Amino acid sequence: MICLIALVVFGILGIFSATHRKIAFEAFNCVFRKATLRKCNSDLDKRLKSQIVAKIMRKNPKTARLVYRYFEVFSWIFTIIMIVSLIYVAIGGYNYYLYGNCNGPNQEGFCIFDPLGENVKYSNVQEATCSTDSESEKTLTLNSVDTNLFPQINKGAENQVFFIGCYACEYTRKAYPEIRKLSLREDTNFIFAHLPVKDGTLFISNVVNCVAEIDVEKILPLNDILFGMDTNSLNEKDNLFDAVERVGLNKTEIEACAMLNKTSELSQKQFDEIKKTGVYGTPTVFINSEAIVGPKPFRVYRRDLK
Amino acid sequence: MNIDKIREDFQILKKELNEKPIVYLDSACVTLKPKQVIDALNKYYNEFPACGERSNHKLGKRVTEEVEKSREVVKKFINARKSNEIIFTKNTTEGINLILNSIELKKGDIILTSDKEHNSILLPVQLLKNKGIEHRIFKFGDINDFKSKLDKDIKLIVTAHISNLDGTINPIEEIINLSHKNKSLILVDAAQSILHVKINVKKMDIDFLAFSGHKIFGPSGTGVLYGKYDLLNKLKPFIFGGGTVKDSTYEDYVIENIPQRFEAGLQDYAGIIGLGEAIKYFQGLGIEGVEDYIEDLNKIITQEFLKLGIKILGEEDYKKRKGIISFNIKGINNKEIAEILNQNNIFIRAGMHCVHSWFNSNKIDGSARISLSVYNTEEDCRKVIEEIKKIKSLI
Repeated sequence: MICLIALVVFGILGIFSATHRKIAFEAFNCVFRKATLRKCNSDLDKRLKSQIVAKIMRKNPKTARLVYRYFEVFSWIFTIIMIVSLIYVAIGGYNYYLYGNCNGPNQEGFCIFDPLGENVKYSNVQEATCSTDSESEKTLTLNSVDTNLFPQINKGAENQVFFIGCYACEYTRKAYPEIRKLSLREDTNFIFAHLPVKDGTLFISNVVNCVAEIDVEKILPLNDILFGMDTNSLNEKDNLFDAVERVGLNKTEIEACAMLNKTSELSQKQFDEIKKTGVYGTPTVFINSEAIVGPKPFRVYRRDLK
Repeated sequence: MNIDKIREDFQILKKELNEKPIVYLDSACVTLKPKQVIDALNKYYNEFPACGERSNHKLGKRVTEEVEKSREVVKKFINARKSNEIIFTKNTTEGINLILNSIELKKGDIILTSDKEHNSILLPVQLLKNKGIEHRIFKFGDINDFKSKLDKDIKLIVTAHISNLDGTINPIEEIINLSHKNKSLILVDAAQSILHVKINVKKMDIDFLAFSGHKIFGPSGTGVLYGKYDLLNKLKPFIFGGGTVKDSTYEDYVIENIPQRFEAGLQDYAGIIGLGEAIKYFQGLGIEGVEDYIEDLNKIITQEFLKLGIKILGEEDYKKRKGIISFNIKGINNKEIAEILNQNNIFIRAGMHCVHSWFNSNKIDGSARISLSVYNTEEDCRKVIEEIKKIKSLI
């Protein structure tokens, strides 16, 4: 059985090293012979057994004796563990492909393919939204949320992407390029809901709403600029109006609009609507009402949309 | 014998692997090389790395001179009558193959070998069956069995002087006498005995003798075939090429003298010169002293192994085995023994030692083999004994 483990281990190492490749061939020959009910004639099993036992013998002769006597049993145990591990790795790989983490949808456990958990991190916004709901994607909903309050691009499209985030939040910034790509490639009704969780960023909602009122198509280029800006610069109104100017709109006109009470009221209403979703972290993306929290690879969003 | 001084000559013994000294107990396969031999090899490559025997420039002449000096050293070492009775080969195997393929044999002739012959004898003899040559086998070391197998059709006897499997000794002088009385020629495989027994081909009346340089401190890939001049003269060389003929036309050739006619192609001049140096080194140690010293080491290991109840192949009496302790521990595969020792920098050999036929017929799955040489010490023996005790405790 040790040859089966050796085949896997040295097979992988053999990709990079000719020495290990030779051992991998030996292991393969041994496994093949055993699978066809013949005796392994490569001695690889004996060599591996002896090398392991010799190492243990130096530290603890009693353990070495135990390992030597029950080597086949240990080999079986390790082989089974290896096979189970391989199955889990395969499932993990499958989940990673589908959901951006190894543990399936709505899971945050450790993932070997994403060891730093970059795909499950999000900016907690519960303090800003005064939410006490549990942090679970299952509790998030768009029911009773009036999405018409928000600027919408490609309204009436078959699919809907409702993207809640804040311009100054790290993970929203990470997710934005993928969501933007998605909205451009697929036929989607793209809605960006700005959640002003950082101090002094509520005014950005006013500016965005004013831009949408004049020309909703300018929302995407404006977002591109705002997400590309340094987060500290977002607090400076002049920087915001410069961005407006860069997308080809009249800065003075937008500034006047943003100062109006009705604009502030709209922004506040939007904020209240966002709270109704139960959002606890940004980015939160509703793809046709199914919520995904945290930045994910493009393929995850795309698959969800399809 | 000053073993510490001898060990100084073997540079490898000063080295450590994984911060542990090495214990080399595989000299029946290949002996270590003293620095004198390595210096001789380097001397060729540094000072006269040219073509011997055929190029007449100064460097070429120097090579020829050094090669002939080595031939003279070998001649004296085995006490041959003439230096042209010495043919340089790659190893014992090549020497044996040369004789078996060059000697005149006809259908119905018989070749007699023992049951413990190395594949280098067994296989070429088996191949001769295609030419209608019969193969007969006697029990190694059993002179009565040998006698019983003799008859007038036995043309050639090929046997090892000392078995590489277990170190047991063939009564070679009796075998030679009986062979000659039977009018049979004898080819002695001295691969193992060359290091352990004083060989005197003239006194022992040996017809052909083959041994390897690498088993007597010489470079790997060197060997010697000795043959009585008259007998060599009757052989028909089976490898021809550069150096084996004096002249040739599109139709014919004029064969070279002995031994050049048997040394086809460019030779391993450095190796041959190194072999001469190795033999001089060995002679400098004193053959009888070496024999006694190795016997003492053999005694230490044998006695301890017997106390431990370890099965020694061949004779249990260490005096009847030359420098080899071939053994098995019940319940542990011989290759596992060798590998565990290997992990502790103790190097022995395991397997069937190229004598598969004997192991297969006795239904034994090989053995672990310790083989000693002059650079081994009592401490080496103690180390291997201690490790073997630990290995034995695994079961």
